Amino acid sequence: MHALTLPERGHFDEMLLQSGAVRSQYQGFSEWLQAQSPEVLHRKREEANQLFHRVGITFSVYGDDAGAERLIPFDTIPRIVPAAEWQTLEVGLKQRVRALNAFLHDIYHDHEIVKAGVIPAGPVFGNAQYQPMMQDVDLPDRIYAHIAGVDIIRHADGGCYVLEDNLRVPSGVSYMLENRKMMMRLFPELFARHAVAPVDHYPALLLDTLRKASRVANPTVVVLTPGHFNSAYFEHAFLAQQMGVELVEGRDLFVRDDHVYMRTTAGHKRVDVIYRRIDDTFLDPLAFRPDSLLGVPGLMSVYRQGKVVLTNAIGTGVADDKSIYPYVPAMIRFYLDEEPILSNVETWLCREPEQLDYVLRHLPELVVKEVHGAGGYGMLIGPAATRAEIDAFRARLIADPAGYIAQPTLCLSSCPTFVEGGIAPRHIDLRPFVLSSGQDIKLVAGGLTRVALKAGSLVVNSSQGGGTKDTWVLED
Amino acid sequence: MKLAIRHETVYRYDSPARRSTQTLRMTPRDSAHQRIASWRLTLPGPASAHVDGFGNAVHLMTLDAPHEEIRLLAEGVVETQGGGWHDDAGRLDPRVFCRATALTRPDDAIRALARAAADAHPAAPLDALAALSAAVLAAMPYTPGRTDAATGAAAALALGAGVCQDHTQVFLAACRALGHPARYVSGYLLNDDADHAASHAWAEVWQDGAWHGFDISNQRAPDAHHLKLAVGLDYLDACPVRGVRLGGDGERLAARADVRPLEQ
Amino acid sequence: MMLSRTADHLFWMARQMERAENLARLLDVSLAVSMLPQSRGGSADIAAPLALTGMLETYLDRHDAIDARRVLHFMAYDSANPASILSSLKAARDNAHAVRGKITAEMWMSINATWLEARELAAAGGDFQGFFDWVKERSHLFRGATHGTCQRTDAFSFIRLGTYLERADNTARLLDVKSQLLGREDDDSPDYHAWSALLRAVGAFEAYHALYRDALSGRRVAELLLLRPDMPRSLRACFDEIRKWLERLESDNGRPAKRLATELQAALAYSTVDEIFAEGLHPYLTRMLGDIDRLGGTVQRAYLEAA
Repeated sequence: MHALTLPERGHFDEMLLQSGAVRSQYQGFSEWLQAQSPEVLHRKREEANQLFHRVGITFSVYGDDAGAERLIPFDTIPRIVPAAEWQTLEVGLKQRVRALNAFLHDIYHDHEIVKAGVIPAGPVFGNAQYQPMMQDVDLPDRIYAHIAGVDIIRHADGGCYVLEDNLRVPSGVSYMLENRKMMMRLFPELFARHAVAPVDHYPALLLDTLRKASRVANPTVVVLTPGHFNSAYFEHAFLAQQMGVELVEGRDLFVRDDHVYMRTTAGHKRVDVIYRRIDDTFLDPLAFRPDSLLGVPGLMSVYRQGKVVLTNAIGTGVADDKSIYPYVPAMIRFYLDEEPILSNVETWLCREPEQLDYVLRHLPELVVKEVHGAGGYGMLIGPAATRAEIDAFRARLIADPAGYIAQPTLCLSSCPTFVEGGIAPRHIDLRPFVLSSGQDIKLVAGGLTRVALKAGSLVVNSSQGGGTKDTWVLED
Repeated sequence: MKLAIRHETVYRYDSPARRSTQTLRMTPRDSAHQRIASWRLTLPGPASAHVDGFGNAVHLMTLDAPHEEIRLLAEGVVETQGGGWHDDAGRLDPRVFCRATALTRPDDAIRALARAAADAHPAAPLDALAALSAAVLAAMPYTPGRTDAATGAAAALALGAGVCQDHTQVFLAACRALGHPARYVSGYLLNDDADHAASHAWAEVWQDGAWHGFDISNQRAPDAHHLKLAVGLDYLDACPVRGVRLGGDGERLAARADVRPLEQ
Repeated sequence: MMLSRTADHLFWMARQMERAENLARLLDVSLAVSMLPQSRGGSADIAAPLALTGMLETYLDRHDAIDARRVLHFMAYDSANPASILSSLKAARDNAHAVRGKITAEMWMSINATWLEARELAAAGGDFQGFFDWVKERSHLFRGATHGTCQRTDAFSFIRLGTYLERADNTARLLDVKSQLLGREDDDSPDYHAWSALLRAVGAFEAYHALYRDALSGRRVAELLLLRPDMPRSLRACFDEIRKWLERLESDNGRPAKRLATELQAALAYSTVDEIFAEGLHPYLTRMLGDIDRLGGTVQRAYLEAA
């Protein structure tokens, strides 16, 4: 028997009702769980840890000792999503990504949405993520974000909201795949009892997406990594291996005669599609930061001529910027003439004086984020902050209002999680991965569930003590 | 005015470079201001032509056999008008040119310069910009050799010295601090003064739906003596040669641009 | 076909692993010799690892005297010494890490676990003998994991090339240093302990006695370690392998490397120990080391240069 700590009042728990009753999608799992001895489960968790360590699924944490690696904690209680809920999410995600791609094409061509006054020019053209180099580049099928990772949270009202669109180099999909493999290895009997939608075809879908991104008949695809000191290197190597394509670094590639080539033991080989896991400004020292050693000199020139495809495209960061986020529902209406299926989290733009005024008056209740921040750094969580922290943040806000947005403090839903001394609710989010090509938009049923392992914490980022869970989408 | 241009750039290396990749913005584009009668690039290796996001003509050149020298020659004849600047607004939204770059990041001194000029002409932005242009040159008289291609605007202003590139970048940083879209222009200038290089840089500021030119180093508006090669956010976007090489220690650069008027 | 950089990492992964093993072998023997009385060459021998790896000066910068324990520690556990066993294991592991997706999970686990454990053993600074045995064992394990799980593609060929080039270099260097320590190289006067130490370092002690059934002589040791094709650490055996693995690489750009390897292999296959001693063992080995270096450079340029 396991004692499950009941969910916090006012939060939505994925498994338990406030009364302690179990939601229907967790019925089977709960019965199974109660039949397991704590010792066996403990041993399984140890086994999982050891296995992850041995295969090297580790990541380096920024700020740690050079090269230090540690494991992202893995929790063995899955997050279970009922079929009907997933179907809504899936349709909503496809709609959202379609609109974001249309937006990117527009702002790098005719700027219709700005001319129509739907989105102000400032956050678009004044955005450091807006790349002038992309003006009038005609991409195959007008796809910019071939791979999107959209962060979804569930609020206390039980509804799902989009927290963030990740359109640059979204990471984490390797954990989705490895977590499933681990669960199937540790608890095969659970998969006999549940119809869990498979995710292991993701690399095949990704490769298909990358190949379709090129106009070349039988394109050569590579994965471009900054190198093995990068925190997501494991994922770069993993995806390249799973797709059976080369994992290259900038120095493996060079430009000649308007094409990109890679250096191989048998001479030079042309490259048609680069799944790059390097930020825009490091891609080409002749077009961006002249000090970058990670990129390929001349790449941008080849790219503008359409002789190589980059996935994702350069300049997608403007569309997932926090200052653009509030306009995504308007984008969906503008480009698709549809009502948004997924909701945004209510957001105050501090660049607008009256919204700033509201934010300043409600700081203790709000979460304030840097527009260009990532990874949960540089944010204020009002209810958890001290008086002094709030005052310090207030000063920063007043000094640079356009640099911040504010949102209500969200009660991310919780999910039972193994913690020291038993099983207790911990807050989670979900990042499904959306693959876009000219023909269709696809996603595997699932995603990366991140969990804040500290009691009460809402920060799920792995760089700040977050862990992961397997995500089960149940089939009907 | 009919101008003949000959621009030769030679890089030499103490030890051979194994590979070089360069982007060249050495080809002027046709506009109402300038009609290209003839233009030719003579390059040591294969180059492909394309147009960049700013609308500049760019050649990408790659050399992959070891070389101790790179010799680039651009020459041609161009007919210029006094005006005609307004027709090359390009497809980019001008507000793109509001951002600071590494070379044009303003500091307090630049902001103060900007503020003083704006405050002096609160109702006349173009007058304020002219005052700003004068203030920039006064604060950093033309002095070759004190700055280089990597010197940022704030550092150059602090030195109190610079060349056209520095004047332009300080001016751009100040304009953008005031919220005006402003861009870097690289080009040639027909000049009687032999001390000044014929390769030149100036600025354009977006006001009332058009780009207005400011030749800060010469305190004048660009005219038929000016020939535009490329525009961008700063020197790096617009400069005639930007390159990366492997090997090739001890680079020495010799560049010479001659612009002379042709008899009508 | 594979990325040049990948081939480079695989090649150096194998070289560094082989280097760690060779160093463990050498230090193992140095340790044994250091226990002998001074008169039998104890201290000169303990300096050999420093000379062999070119680290004598670095060592003397940090230590005032050549002392067995300190030398062993410097060459085995010191992470600040780029030529130490620990550093080689780290370099091997880092190279493997860089091509994590190109080696099998078992190879990765083996080499990664070796590094993790080596770090702990070095930090604990435990008994040397046990550490050297452990290093040899881990090297065997990695070689076994490679042999047993790695697909026979070009990747395998580059791993093998790295192993045998390193081994050839090591054998030649070892023989050179030892024979110089022993004085005149053509002197057949038996110095039992020194020669047996050398043979044990390359695991050829038993083989020598099985083959020659005779007292140890420099000439025979040299023959065994240079020319015998059936001795896995002899130069001849190494070059047989190098030539074989180079031949398997398909591509035109490797012709200079293949030609050089074939020349060197043929020279070894058709040489006699008398010819070598007529030239002089030291000049011969100096020339050989130059050739090995040249071959390494040729392979590097033909296949591995990512820059």
